Amino acid sequence: MMSKNKKIVMGLGLAAVAFVIMMFSTMPSAGSKEITIADLSKNGSKYEGDYIMTQGLLNKESVKWDADKLELRFELYEEGKGTLQVFHKGIKPDNFSEDVIVLVEGFIQEDGVFEAEKVQTKCPTKYEGEDMENYDTEMHKEMYKNDKQE
Amino acid sequence: MYLIGNISIYLGIVISLYGIIANFVGIRKKSSKWIESARGAVLSLAFVASVAAFLLLYLLGTSQFQYKYVASYTNESLSMAYKLTAFWAGNAGSLLLWAVLLALYAAMVVFSKEKKNPMMPYVSSILMVNILFFFTVMALNANPFEMTDKIPADGKGLNPMLQNPGMILHPVTLYMGYVGLAVPFAFGIAALILKRMDSEWIKLTRRWTLLAWLFLTLGNVIGGWWAYLELGWGGYWAWDPVENASFLPWLTVSAFLHSVMIQERKNMLKTWNVSLIILSYILTLFGTFLVRSGILTSVHAFGDSNLGTYFLVFMAFMMLFSLYIVMTRYGLLKKDSSPIEAYFSKESSFLLNNLILVAAAFAVFWGTMYPLISETFTGTKVNVGAPYFNKVMAPILLVLIVLMGICPLIAWQKAVFEKFMKNMLWPLAMGVATAIILFAFGVNGFYAIIGLSATSFMFGTHLQEFARGISARRKATKENVLKAAFKLTIKNQRRYGGYIVHIGIAVIAVGVISSHTYSTEVLKTVDAGNSIKTGDYSLKFNELTEHTKNGNGIVVADIDVTYKGKDIGKIKPEKIFYETWPEPSTEVAIKTNWSQDLYVVLSSWETKDKVTFMVKVNPFVSWIWMGGIIMVIGTAFALIGGRPTSSRYQINKGISRVGG
Repeated sequence: MMSKNKKIVMGLGLAAVAFVIMMFSTMPSAGSKEITIADLSKNGSKYEGDYIMTQGLLNKESVKWDADKLELRFELYEEGKGTLQVFHKGIKPDNFSEDVIVLVEGFIQEDGVFEAEKVQTKCPTKYEGEDMENYDTEMHKEMYKNDKQE
Repeated sequence: MYLIGNISIYLGIVISLYGIIANFVGIRKKSSKWIESARGAVLSLAFVASVAAFLLLYLLGTSQFQYKYVASYTNESLSMAYKLTAFWAGNAGSLLLWAVLLALYAAMVVFSKEKKNPMMPYVSSILMVNILFFFTVMALNANPFEMTDKIPADGKGLNPMLQNPGMILHPVTLYMGYVGLAVPFAFGIAALILKRMDSEWIKLTRRWTLLAWLFLTLGNVIGGWWAYLELGWGGYWAWDPVENASFLPWLTVSAFLHSVMIQERKNMLKTWNVSLIILSYILTLFGTFLVRSGILTSVHAFGDSNLGTYFLVFMAFMMLFSLYIVMTRYGLLKKDSSPIEAYFSKESSFLLNNLILVAAAFAVFWGTMYPLISETFTGTKVNVGAPYFNKVMAPILLVLIVLMGICPLIAWQKAVFEKFMKNMLWPLAMGVATAIILFAFGVNGFYAIIGLSATSFMFGTHLQEFARGISARRKATKENVLKAAFKLTIKNQRRYGGYIVHIGIAVIAVGVISSHTYSTEVLKTVDAGNSIKTGDYSLKFNELTEHTKNGNGIVVADIDVTYKGKDIGKIKPEKIFYETWPEPSTEVAIKTNWSQDLYVVLSSWETKDKVTFMVKVNPFVSWIWMGGIIMVIGTAFALIGGRPTSSRYQINKGISRVGG
């Protein structure tokens, strides 16, 4: 006959397995897929309905901010590879300046416009002082390129 | 200065190497002289690390910009407090902080009253291996005393987000927690090496573990508080990889603190306990690896891949080493382990609590690492957001709260169900009453109501435990209530300290559940003279003004606030444009009362008279900070007093001595 210890351990083991199954089944629906702008601009329709995260450089000329409606429109680009029109219902981030790296999360629409639920710029979140040293557009382009190559 | 700084780093390497060798020789030759000498090495390490730390503080405080670190993280106009706390703004300083804390801890351990304990040479060696690692990384990769090629006129300044009292405290407290875990880890491993399978190491490290846990708790709570005040998004926890990294060891140590009680009392769970402390220690290294490697997208982007590699290698080494020790002692660990006497007992409820805490840790770990896992297997990086964590963690934490409500009512060894049910009557009534009241007042949110009722039940159990203890004592001693309460808790500090911690968790739970479910947010652009209404608040925007302070431009919005029609004064959210920083920083304005926070962010403006605000009403957020304080008080209470369960411990010790 099994000892009580073994039975308890088995019971707890079963609970653990149930728990892992629960986790696996929750995961995909809760995550966002990281897709490149190049991919989105070419095969946008393929990702309709998927919660997507993407990042690109900001084209400052394209920024249209309607303060009354709180609507933000802008264009992100990946040099030589494609562009993405983004629409966001919410505030314009602080340093929304030329060529800053912008991270967006949301859904791609039928018309190819990306409806972002979240808009974040990448630079202000760097805590390291050293980054300041090279704080210029060239560096951002470089960083962005490297990011992509990895 | 340059020489002193660098010499102290290299001396750190040499002395720790010497200390490890001296211990080794001392153990081999059974020579107390060598062991004594190794103890001297630990003291010297504490000394050189302190010299290096004071030197760095001096350089930072006097703005010696010929040092790269000073120039990178401070500037002339920074206040003295932030000049000094820039110590841990970057990698090199953080490593030095880690090294100095570790060396001080190590010195305290080897010079404690247990210094003659045969475990000590092993303990000090393991701690010195850690110290050696940190000094080596500083020497090879991140030297805080590195010079610049050309002395800059002024430094680059400290990131504005780090210029907040929360940021003075948050890293230090967290580090003290992280570093503190090395001590119980070292004792656990030492006990295994020496094949001392009794609970001595647990008894010796109880205070160290509690202290580390206290600092981890503080570090996490202060981190949340800082995020709430400084980041301007109205939340305190975002399930960011780096936040998760500090939450993971907190969960496993919480489990450890409970399961060691079973080993102390019943000589059970030996393998489990030693594995838990190893895991907790490894998780502190893992956390640092995550923060420093930048392999995951995080708001805490410290990104320095080289440093990450060092941590990865060290972590792998320590993991394999620990695994080897545990495997070779596995047979001994299993020997003499007493079986559980009944399914329904405190022992099994503690087991369940442990499983849930470890499961929670696993769920957090899984979510944190999932982007890397999915990229490896599918090629697509799937980022896991807060929804996953909320979905998985909410039921886990709910069960944990219910369990916290039930556990104190279950007896050791074999609980009697009828008695348990009788004990549960009042707390359960409290939980049900909470649910009814919330429903009656038309509060929405089914899950939140369940959560709040469970919390109320848990609180009720603890209240009842206090009440019963006091009444039993009064019957016996005829003391008045206050005296009885005081004497009761003072005589059982471990137990009641633990209960106070649980009450702190209940208070936090109220804050978390309420602010998560019932927080409201309004985003609106208003013209001067117009108002924003939200809940019982009305905010009338008057004007936007601009002034300079310490060379920084500050834009302030002036707003009159009324609550339920009554004037409650002004609120002034700001945006600061730092001279030395490329982007402005948001200074949130908060009005707090006992039940809610009015949280106002100046988002952007078109003209002086047309401004966009984010206004949030966050219910019960201040309860989270309050709960944190209660937890710290409870832990401190258990820490300063509280003898180990000595009689049982002696028995265990006796058994294992006879047996071993």
